[in-house]
Amino acid sequence: MNNFAPAPATTDHELLRQMQAGVASAFDALYRRHQGPLFRFCLMRSGSTAIAADVVQEVFMGLLTGSFRFDPLRGSLANFLFGVARNLVMKQDRPGQQPPSDDEHEDESVACEAPSPLARLLRHEQAEQVRRAIAALPPHYRDVLILFELNERSYVDIAAICQLDIGTVRSRLSRARSALATRLAAWREPLNVE
Amino acid sequence: MSDLPVPHFAPDAALLPPLRDPLFDGLRDELAGLDTPPGVRKELLAAFARQRTALPWWRRLGTPGWRLAGGGAALATVLVTVLIAALYQAGAPASPTTYTAAGRGDFVALEPLERIEQDPAPTLLSTTVPRAALTALGVAVDPQDAGDMMQAEMLVGADGSPLALRLAVQ
Repeated sequence: MNNFAPAPATTDHELLRQMQAGVASAFDALYRRHQGPLFRFCLMRSGSTAIAADVVQEVFMGLLTGSFRFDPLRGSLANFLFGVARNLVMKQDRPGQQPPSDDEHEDESVACEAPSPLARLLRHEQAEQVRRAIAALPPHYRDVLILFELNERSYVDIAAICQLDIGTVRSRLSRARSALATRLAAWREPLNVE
Repeated sequence: MSDLPVPHFAPDAALLPPLRDPLFDGLRDELAGLDTPPGVRKELLAAFARQRTALPWWRRLGTPGWRLAGGGAALATVLVTVLIAALYQAGAPASPTTYTAAGRGDFVALEPLERIEQDPAPTLLSTTVPRAALTALGVAVDPQDAGDMMQAEMLVGADGSPLALRLAVQ
């Protein structure tokens, strides 16, 4: 196995090229660079550590085997990986189901609201409350909210990841925040009193 | 410090990056420490190694090490070729054309053979010259031998132009 270590500032594109040439350290560098944000997105999106780990593994396995073809001309590798991960998580939601339109509201599938292994990882009550509120959002609102607020992606990135126009990203984010505010209102009141 | 009011320019909101809601700060901090379980990385690297082994030899030549070696060998080959060509051109003497005059032996042709052969009345001039005088004709002379005398015979055309030359050390 080749062990040429890539430079720290090596671009994703260069790492990908080295990886395709068989450089293991390039693949490892790509994995280390992107696995964290991807895992956190999948974790929040699915509510399951196991599903998130499986999805991350599947994303990188697809990158390795070439089953997911990345075209650098169509955007960044990070956005591509997020897009693939999102599609895989959506398959876990309801296999074969198309994403709902923005006119549909709160009747979609809900990631498990019950305390999960993730809940044990979240130490603070506020974080847990917010997590539960996010989990109760419809999936298409959850996507943009998680990507924006937790993964700190830009509107443009989210539009690329979710295959939406920026206006739709803005509107979904706005509706997601409104829905979240409603759910968290009961929790916020006691805080304001204090 | 001056007490003058500092002009305030409100930035265009459209140019500012969108603000994150502080409501999510706590959850964001909690998530910051979460990574994919280590077993996933191990499995992926093992899969990479398996795929790497399955690669045909010509795909493995694409690795940086092989590319570097191949590029170096190609560069060295080009450099050696250019060097040999340059040395050959600089060092190799131009082979003189020999003209054989009937009954007079061989001469170094100073004109094309056709020109010499077509001359109607070539004349042979003979003399003794110091070797140093040859430098004027473009002939390299060793300084140690510059004082030696040489027998020179020149074939001169009907119009007086030199056609061929023959030298002999006395």
